Amino acid sequence: MVAMTEAIESAPAGTTEFTVVGNSPAHHDFQDKVQGTLRYGADWKLPGMLYGKVVRSLQPCARITAIDTSAARELPGVVAVLTASDVPFNKVVDNASGGLGELTVAQPVLAEDRVRYTGEPVALIAATEPEIAAAAVDLVDVSYADLPGIFDPEEALEPEAPLVHEAGNVLVNWRIGRGDAAAAMAAADVVITGEYRSQHVEHAYLEPESGVGWSDNGVLTLRVSTQVIEHASQIARILDVSENKVRIIASYMGGGFGGKEDMTVEPYLALLAWHTQRPVRMVWDRQESILASTKRHPFVMRYRTGAKADGTLLAQEIDIIGDAGAYPCLSARVLFAGAALAAGPYRVPNITTRSRAVFTNNVPASAFRGFGAMQVVFGYESQMDKLAERLGLTPTEIRDRNQVSKGDTIPTGESLHTAVELTATRDLALARLGPRSTATGPGCRVGRGFASGMQPYGRTIWFRDHASVWLTLQTDGSLLIRSGVTDLGAGQAASLCQIASEVLGAPLEEISVYIGDTALNPPAGGTFATRQLYMSGNAVLSGARELRDSLAAVAAEELGVPPDTLVWRDGMVRTADSSGQNRGIRLAELAQMCQRRGVSTSNLHTWRARGGEFDPEAGQGDSFPDYTYGTHAAEVEVDTETGVVRVLKYAASHDVGQQINPVRVQGQIQGGVMQGLGYALMEDHALIDGQPVSTLFANYLIPTTMDMPDIEVDVVESGEGCGPLNARGIGEPPVGPCAAAIASAIKDAIGVRPNRLPITPERVLELIDEQAAGRVAKDGDHE
Amino acid sequence: MTGAFEYQLADSWEEAVELHRIWGEDGKILAGGQSLVPMLNLRLVQPAGLIDINPIGAVEPRVADDRLVLSALTRHQDLLRSPLVREHCPILAEGAAQIGNVRVRARGTVGGSMCHADPSGEIPCMVLALDGQLIAHSPRGQRVIDAERFLRSYLTTDLAEDELLTEIRLPIRKHGQGWAFLETVRRYSDFATVEVAATATLSSDAHTVTALRVVVGGVADRPLILSDELLSAAVGGTGRDDELRAVGAAAAATVSPESDVHASADYRRRLTEVLTYRALGKAIERGRAESKGAGV
Repeated sequence: MVAMTEAIESAPAGTTEFTVVGNSPAHHDFQDKVQGTLRYGADWKLPGMLYGKVVRSLQPCARITAIDTSAARELPGVVAVLTASDVPFNKVVDNASGGLGELTVAQPVLAEDRVRYTGEPVALIAATEPEIAAAAVDLVDVSYADLPGIFDPEEALEPEAPLVHEAGNVLVNWRIGRGDAAAAMAAADVVITGEYRSQHVEHAYLEPESGVGWSDNGVLTLRVSTQVIEHASQIARILDVSENKVRIIASYMGGGFGGKEDMTVEPYLALLAWHTQRPVRMVWDRQESILASTKRHPFVMRYRTGAKADGTLLAQEIDIIGDAGAYPCLSARVLFAGAALAAGPYRVPNITTRSRAVFTNNVPASAFRGFGAMQVVFGYESQMDKLAERLGLTPTEIRDRNQVSKGDTIPTGESLHTAVELTATRDLALARLGPRSTATGPGCRVGRGFASGMQPYGRTIWFRDHASVWLTLQTDGSLLIRSGVTDLGAGQAASLCQIASEVLGAPLEEISVYIGDTALNPPAGGTFATRQLYMSGNAVLSGARELRDSLAAVAAEELGVPPDTLVWRDGMVRTADSSGQNRGIRLAELAQMCQRRGVSTSNLHTWRARGGEFDPEAGQGDSFPDYTYGTHAAEVEVDTETGVVRVLKYAASHDVGQQINPVRVQGQIQGGVMQGLGYALMEDHALIDGQPVSTLFANYLIPTTMDMPDIEVDVVESGEGCGPLNARGIGEPPVGPCAAAIASAIKDAIGVRPNRLPITPERVLELIDEQAAGRVAKDGDHE
Repeated sequence: MTGAFEYQLADSWEEAVELHRIWGEDGKILAGGQSLVPMLNLRLVQPAGLIDINPIGAVEPRVADDRLVLSALTRHQDLLRSPLVREHCPILAEGAAQIGNVRVRARGTVGGSMCHADPSGEIPCMVLALDGQLIAHSPRGQRVIDAERFLRSYLTTDLAEDELLTEIRLPIRKHGQGWAFLETVRRYSDFATVEVAATATLSSDAHTVTALRVVVGGVADRPLILSDELLSAAVGGTGRDDELRAVGAAAAATVSPESDVHASADYRRRLTEVLTYRALGKAIERGRAESKGAGV
């Protein structure tokens, strides 16, 4: 294992002999973005283009009694006004249902007889100018009759609660069970209880939802900001055309974070462009984006943790309730991840976890970086800290006694098959904090804390994931990579180039990568679940190796050496003799030789992840391919009179197995921490009876760089991961430990533990008041 | 096109007054644009005419008749840079440093901030704390308006439809007078949740607090001056901790702030208490240092 610091300046990892992987070249996406030449979803313009707008419900729960579109239709410049009756197949179906007991609930593209959340699409407008489209929205007269709504997931579980859908309010009820938790809890020397709550969170990507749709030779094309081009099949269903009539192109994104994993503008653009047979553009402004886009699930997490007097964990009883909002979206899978990861990276022989996704008349919640596995970090790390305190152990000692290692069995019954370098990440993060700061004022106190976490990378195993790639060495020696991957801005495309370059020796500047097009690329699956380096990276690695093998046969014959001794580097294939007399062939020449001999220089390759099954009744089975582990440490100063929390120092360390591109690894960790600190301290998509009250950045607070401490990053490279060249995914993992680390530091400063997010100054004062009133137990828990 | 407007430049105050008269309520004055332009962008205001007064330019801050005179077009950052401001009204430099971010401070103007009259704006809070005067011009002539009268309510001033704010006059600091401006924000560069501007005058022997003036912003429809009665616990005293805390508590008991997504009324009251107490302490400490001639 090699611990690397200051990854930006670092040379390639010491245990490897890579020449391209492990470096941080300024690839095409960096250059295009810095030069401002990259065309995002909203930058596409076509002749005769119309502008689309969505008419949205102003009510969270109501019957639609009438929709009068006449005034909107009569407005000069309005070309189309569509309602539910204009939609050939009016369902946004979630094809990816796991079939493991979830309710089957349909979400209409446009509301028919009732609306279930504020912001639900009711009608569509296309007009010759964006301003006319906006004016027409106000002219669509929708009459509503209020229905009783339900806005709290716990209230939605009550027997008499209004039903959001006739099928019931509980979308899914997952159970994970192992051993006998009740008996073990009864036998425990100490039992720690805790209740933790998180909030609705907005993705707040720089680039809002946007795209252009047009119809051309009977094919509908959508060029949109999306993480998932495979939605093309659903668009075909909605239009009632065959799938070969829909093409989706994903533009490079200015962030997605899961918010562009479900469809956003796609069905509306498709309907308007299909109906008008003219190009249509749709761009949600920030207010519409915050109002209507999916959110991170608020969780209510209740823990009972039983342990022996020496700190050894015996049992966990965990109950999780996630507010799914009005429609299923990806809630079932988010709550599965929450269930599977609820105990965190700790050995627990006896466990019962229940995890429910519950419908409400709030905005739908769905995928968001961390995907259920991040919310629970606040739960399990708070429990570990409390257990340590109760037993008089340090937070480090309690973790040392319970932390998982390679080979250990986790609650789903699987065993961990790669290295667990949590201790290394913890040592690095804690060391980074350096000497303790002193408080800056009389009412101020400094505190420190840390939190560890594990986050899956790759889709749930039962989805039998696969990704394809098509590699072509051209006769001038340049290389084409065609992949259905979408690029969130994290360098998904560029990383593939580095891997291919490493294998085939083609210089990066002679590799072009064509991505995100259902018509021209083999499918790679969407970019989510920290899966693209794992999936498409492995596809490129094995596909490039296959291609190299077929090229090597020709080169070996030409050079008179065994194929496995060849060196592929700098646009050449060479013999490996050390005399300095090595001979080589330029890749261009090799490609031409292959052509003459009828040997293909192209390879279409599909890489398949391991498959498996999960038994929902037993709560045991296969869950995720592997995990990325990490530890964050924080030092905060709390002003005990104003409640203001300042993050003085922050250190984050993750084991990424093998860095493909260190700058991009750093970027993921830095950005994840910033997003995680916003989640911990200020972000809150507040709803009052389903009505959002913070739909502008003026009142939905995300941290600015001026609110951030320097984030110190230490990367660990264990050399064990399931990704290409033993890499692990790093997209989602860095957002996980932040809130728990901050909460722990605040507890250290003020003596009472936050149990609700975000930890606003006002809530900090409430905690201090509770403490002053004697309502806080010795271990910082609320009585 | 919605939100279209006619854009006109004024090269002099006279021309600005005339254009303002012509447009009447359909016109808006563009100074630094830090509040107006976002409102235009969101179509919250849709004026027919926009009168850009930036070409007039700001004269440097100057002192006349024991008053610091600021052109309405003085940028916030000028308050930080001007030695005259630091010498004669140092609270302005302290408060201006907490306005928005560097971009807002570079463009935003003191006159614009006064006329926008946001109840949590730093400039109105400080001008009121300094008991400043506002000079308005109209076709009918010039009018001098006390800050207390000028700031009427939420985004509302005493200016008549044809009046234009041209200048702000502030009494210069007296010997033995200390100052402090404190605020808290939820996020860097946001509006203050609560802000407090305070001045304290010490007796010549630096022993006794002879006068206090405290203004609290962010807790009502305009910045509030704490009454003499509220301050009585500390005036005549020596600036002891319990005296200052008593004023803070009395201030908190007096204000009736509203709750919003950023802070509840209760929390704003708590901040009023803490910031008032802290601002008083800092102002008295500085006043004492000034009074002793120790400088700051």
